[in-house]
Amino acid sequence: MRLARSAFFSAVLILLAGVFPALALAQSGPVIAAASSMQFALADIAAAFTRQTGQSVRFSFGSSGNFARQIRSGAPFDLFIAADEDIIADLHRDGFIADKGHVYAVGRLVIVAPHGSPLVPDGSFDTLAALLEAGQIRRFAIANPDHAPYGIRAREALEARGVWEALQPFLVMGENVTQAAQFALSGNAEGGLTAYSLMLSADIAPRGTYALIPETAHAPLRQRMVLLPAASKTAVAFHDFMRGEQARAILQDYGFALPQDG
Amino acid sequence: MTLEVMARADGPIPLDLAFRVEPGELLALVGPSGSGKTTVLRTIAGLWQPAQARVTVQGKVWLDSATGVAMPAHRRRVGVVFQNYALFPHKTAAQNVACAIDHLEGGARRDEALRLLDLVNLQGLSARKPAELSGGQQQRVAVARALARRPDALLLDEPFSAVDRATREKLYAEIIALRAHLAMPVVLVTHDMTEAQLLADRMVVIDAGRMVATGATGSVMSDPKALHAMGIREAAAMVGAVVRGHDADGMTELQTPAGPLWLPRFDAAPDTRVRVRIMAHEVIVSRARPEGLSAQNILAVKVIDLRAGDGPAVMVRLALGQDIILARITRRAANQLALEPGDQVHAILKSMSVARDHIATDTHSPPRYEGDKTVS
Amino acid sequence: MDWTALWLSLQLAGWTVVILLPVAIMMGRLLAYRRFAGKGLVEALVMLPLVLPPTVFGFYLLVSFGANSPVGQFWQATFGQPLVFSFEGLVLASVIFNLPFAIQPAQRGFESVPVEVREAAACCGMSPARSLWAVELPLAWPGLLTAMVLTFAHTLGEFGIVLMVGGSIPGETKTIAIAIYDRVQGFDDSGAAIMSAVLVVISLVTITVTYWLSARVGRRLG
Repeated sequence: MRLARSAFFSAVLILLAGVFPALALAQSGPVIAAASSMQFALADIAAAFTRQTGQSVRFSFGSSGNFARQIRSGAPFDLFIAADEDIIADLHRDGFIADKGHVYAVGRLVIVAPHGSPLVPDGSFDTLAALLEAGQIRRFAIANPDHAPYGIRAREALEARGVWEALQPFLVMGENVTQAAQFALSGNAEGGLTAYSLMLSADIAPRGTYALIPETAHAPLRQRMVLLPAASKTAVAFHDFMRGEQARAILQDYGFALPQDG
Repeated sequence: MTLEVMARADGPIPLDLAFRVEPGELLALVGPSGSGKTTVLRTIAGLWQPAQARVTVQGKVWLDSATGVAMPAHRRRVGVVFQNYALFPHKTAAQNVACAIDHLEGGARRDEALRLLDLVNLQGLSARKPAELSGGQQQRVAVARALARRPDALLLDEPFSAVDRATREKLYAEIIALRAHLAMPVVLVTHDMTEAQLLADRMVVIDAGRMVATGATGSVMSDPKALHAMGIREAAAMVGAVVRGHDADGMTELQTPAGPLWLPRFDAAPDTRVRVRIMAHEVIVSRARPEGLSAQNILAVKVIDLRAGDGPAVMVRLALGQDIILARITRRAANQLALEPGDQVHAILKSMSVARDHIATDTHSPPRYEGDKTVS
Repeated sequence: MDWTALWLSLQLAGWTVVILLPVAIMMGRLLAYRRFAGKGLVEALVMLPLVLPPTVFGFYLLVSFGANSPVGQFWQATFGQPLVFSFEGLVLASVIFNLPFAIQPAQRGFESVPVEVREAAACCGMSPARSLWAVELPLAWPGLLTAMVLTFAHTLGEFGIVLMVGGSIPGETKTIAIAIYDRVQGFDDSGAAIMSAVLVVISLVTITVTYWLSARVGRRLG
């Protein structure tokens, strides 16, 4: 009977999808919430970690601000690698984490432009200001200054130069700094502000040109990481690995400055 | 297995009636559209609950608003033939019937379904789905399915309204033949007086939810209140007759207690009993036996009584043996002829005024008169 | 190609369908057959996930069973892990936001069963349960099938609510839709293209199969 046959097929499909959770969890290991600016650097560091210890970790990349909110709602992360300090200080003050964590790197902001854009990246924003005046800026991408550390710094830098107001109508906000880079280099914008570490990665470097923004233009991007209460042993091991020599070397390759206390 | 029904409600459909149906009896519920007759049927079946109602069959209480008893439809042993048959479209005829059989399993159940389909003359069609059957065939499957339930009461909701006239005539004959096998009370809802007269032993005429007349079919037909509800043109009498033979010139001869009756030829073997519906306005009354008339039927009858209506007409009831014939004539004519109860007169009827579907073969004895029972 | 994410999405869709099928039958039947005070309100509530922006929905779901809610705390106490950011939390969210996709077509399916046929079933002595199995389901099942297929396909593609309620935890809540988003953000256009193509093919196949099955049933019932 037709009803029986189709019922059977549906049951088979559902069984296939539902009875093999083991397959789904082929990846295992602690979950690390990491700022998206760390995407490529952490991929390399994790590979080194696995080579050395045989253990593996899982990453969830996104905006630090979003992760902070998720952690407050009980998200089950083991380690939080943020892109600034204030976020972690707030979590500590509100009792969600036991200690204040460690600064693992200091990031830099860069202005970028895709190939063929009228904007020539210049750390003093002179070229940007000129293009703005000439009415040649249609879209400019930054990370969302409401919750992304690189976005907050981008706004500070633009305000310091006095072009924030003029740039307002043309701003495109990325959910996080990687999305900002994606918007900036897609060809749909004249350029944007994003993380130095991203522009040094093999995937992104060929897509445009960049110039460093002087550190004096904004508050420092001191990036802190912290272990969360239910952290597993592997997560702790990774946290320590992050502060070790191998990791620091990789971080330097990606343009991060290293904190003195190591 | 008597069926007793009482229903009373103010709305949405007003109702105020009570009647009973004896085992083996066919009661017709007749009335204009919207009169509530289908609602009454649905109440008996368990598909509707009026504010106040009581339905009992053979002493079993199916519904009693006073005590709060309300047996759901699927627990009542009721067989229902719906107006549009409501056959299960995804099941074959045999499966449709088998669904209602609950006292047998497996092979025995299948055999019983086939037996019922045979009973309604659907041999060989048991594997067809409703979409592959004609209207008349579907109706018969519906009847078989209703009977498969071994019901305490059989309910028919205007079951013939969806088929053409030729099929309807055949179906009337089959229902009448089937009645020999039915021991339960049968209620037939219809708005067609011909149908009621041909098939029913007793009738209840409903108008706006109230019973305006109840009683044996013949007496209700002559009741002015009933006719007011059904339309005065519907006044007619049922006469029992026996087929004598067929003549070469296209006429059939029948025998009545008051003499021969000739009608346009129809198919029936000699000695078949039939019921003939004779419309009151087609009957002429004459004191003397007329000569040289084209009308072929001149029957000797006796005046029972005259009833005046609102208009210019009177209804004359004439005794023809055990049967009654109605004649609707003008008051003037009645005065001119000085008709009195007890007078011996003649009823004149044109052969051509009897339509084919006003004749039904009768396996039961002709309807008897229990005297009038009219309700105001 | 992130097979883990695809498997996760298929599991999520599968579990949603399994849970919603009885719900669709019960609610679809109730709404199709009965008239009652407040029926309009119930139908509107069922429709709500269709018209609310996913983010509004995600927000209310977070509030309702996040760590600060009674439901969330009960779950945490019973199972030792939070309800949000877990696969189980996603299933719960998915069941809720798929209600209109599951219930409405089911309701249409049951509405297509003529009232007379249902009454005839009762008068044939069939209890409501037997009537459901022998008469209503065989006639209404195209509607139910559409409901389940729509639910399945919709869950596969759902993004906003899954992201808000589940985060993007690989192997736990990172569904294929989110994985595609991640790839795009990570400048992995080829990865995103492959996964998008797979998703499109799955969706097309599901929809085509549904239409084909429905047409067959339509022909069968003449």
